[in-house]
Amino acid sequence: MLTMNNISKVFQTDEVQTHALRDFHLKVNEGDFISVTGPSGSGKTTFLNIAGLLENFTSGTFMLDDIDISKLNDRDRSKTRNEKIGFIFQSFNLIPDLNLYDNVDVPLRYQGLNAKERKKRIVHHLEMVGLGSRMKHLPSQLSGGQQQRVAIARALATNPRFLLADEPTGNLDTQMAKSVMTLLEEINQQGTTIIMVTHDDDLANRATRKIQIKDGRVSELDVVRDNAEVNATEQAIA
Amino acid sequence: MQELGLIFRALLRNKVGALLISLQIALTLTIMVNAIFMMQQRSEQMLRPSGLDEANIFYLSNTVFAQDYNQQVYLEDDLALLRQTDGVVDAIQINAIPMSGGGWSMGLQTEAGEGKDSTGVAVYMVDDHAINTMGLELLAGENFSQTDIEWRASSQNNWPAKTIITKAMALALFPDDWQSALGQTAYINQAEPMQITGIVKSLQAPWNGWSGVERSMLVPYKMETTGGRFMIRTEAGRRDELMPIIEKALSESNKGRIIRRVTTMDDTRERSYRAHNAVNKILTSVIAVLTLITGFGIVGLAMFSINRRTKQIGTRRALGATRGQIISFFMIENLMISSFGVLLGVGGAIGLNIWLVSTFSMAPITPGLIIMGVIVLYLVGQVAVLYPARKAAKISPAIATRTA
Repeated sequence: MLTMNNISKVFQTDEVQTHALRDFHLKVNEGDFISVTGPSGSGKTTFLNIAGLLENFTSGTFMLDDIDISKLNDRDRSKTRNEKIGFIFQSFNLIPDLNLYDNVDVPLRYQGLNAKERKKRIVHHLEMVGLGSRMKHLPSQLSGGQQQRVAIARALATNPRFLLADEPTGNLDTQMAKSVMTLLEEINQQGTTIIMVTHDDDLANRATRKIQIKDGRVSELDVVRDNAEVNATEQAIA
Repeated sequence: MQELGLIFRALLRNKVGALLISLQIALTLTIMVNAIFMMQQRSEQMLRPSGLDEANIFYLSNTVFAQDYNQQVYLEDDLALLRQTDGVVDAIQINAIPMSGGGWSMGLQTEAGEGKDSTGVAVYMVDDHAINTMGLELLAGENFSQTDIEWRASSQNNWPAKTIITKAMALALFPDDWQSALGQTAYINQAEPMQITGIVKSLQAPWNGWSGVERSMLVPYKMETTGGRFMIRTEAGRRDELMPIIEKALSESNKGRIIRRVTTMDDTRERSYRAHNAVNKILTSVIAVLTLITGFGIVGLAMFSINRRTKQIGTRRALGATRGQIISFFMIENLMISSFGVLLGVGGAIGLNIWLVSTFSMAPITPGLIIMGVIVLYLVGQVAVLYPARKAAKISPAIATRTA
């Protein structure tokens, strides 16, 4: 579903060229739960931005569901983001002036869905993350963990092909992080592909595939584990 | 338009800035509409025809100082000189000049006696050449004949037997049918009868701010006066050429008087409406400044709002908003703020106009003007927000993943 070949990203200033990604290869399959780790400045966020069509790459090939991303204009990239990708951000990125219902509604409106369909999806996904009774609350009235759950509901409401999670537990305490992680695992088990950037090795180990980025390259390729191994890791963490 | 409800609900939670801009829009609309209305009224006043062939008329003052000056004889000499000058169409002695600000007024009434209703009228003392000199249009009746013209000594108080009045004056005296005024007797000084022998289309009084400015009467007099005026009408296009020639000819023909203040009717009109022009210019400046301030206010609010919501805009882009949808987000937000302001402004404009109407007897404002004001302010709002909105649309969606 997602293939990156020889992707490079160079940030150019007047005097300095910075290679954020170089010869980056990755193939993501349907149903994967991939964790992406690496030290600060290794290129994790750049990878995430390119995978999420938030940023252009300098060279290489990036295919998403047989679409050559390099050929898309800004409008088509927006449309593709809206239809195929769900985002979960470290700081949740909820819109503070809108209640939970409206926050989940934002990407659905960009899809041009009718009010009835939108309502059905919003209610379903907010109930799924356990916040069905708080739809009229503002984000500021929720805990960090609850806000991240709203962000997950928002990301899932558009029925994306995959979720991109950027340090989804980075701003949460251990208990809340665990609960958000469990939710992501449930979502993955229901068939949604997830790519998660994290600093936390314990969380990374719960993914079904793990890659490490160093100096803009995949330094440790696809440690693929089966579900039994994942369950064993979970028990060890617990 | 997809985010209409969301924008509205978000605005309700951030009322202060939007409310201030709405109030500014309301104030601008209130002042703009009424100011334009006042300008329109002044412009209409300035465009009113005086009834005269203004482009070809000038006048001058004849100030007599010689002790042995035979006014009756010299007046005839002067009129003969003026009328015989090549290029002069006609000339008269006259006591007052339309639009000049100074003149005579009397009251005319249809019934003799004290306590009867009388109507104010501007009095022009002229001879039988007045209609031709001024270029007036006689609608009914006839001009004075030479025999109608009386000599009016400076101490004389009685009035001649005939008068020619304007159509507006005829309507004031006989509201049912202005033409019925012809041949009727009107009373001046409460009891002195004057027969209306002619009706002219229009001739403005000397006072442009007077509500009865269109009410005038011609009285067949030649006057004994040490400070008289001559009004001269020239052939088309020859006024400026003849002004110094006539001034010189009159000055040289009799050394017992001074000829001065040679003035065109164009200058008189310009002087007469100078205050109107100045007020219109001030009002135009006020409107322009207010509109600019409102526009800048909208730009300022939008820029502030964009700087405050940079990450939010990036997040919207990440969630799938196109650049066009970000632009339309801010345009719609501005449309909502403008709509509230415009709603208040329409109320304010009507309220202020009601006060102006009741306090200064102004005419009520026209709905078309309010609609025009509303459209202008919507346009100002949309144009003002366009630059900030385009700036917002350029915010990269990648900003959503930045933690700061």
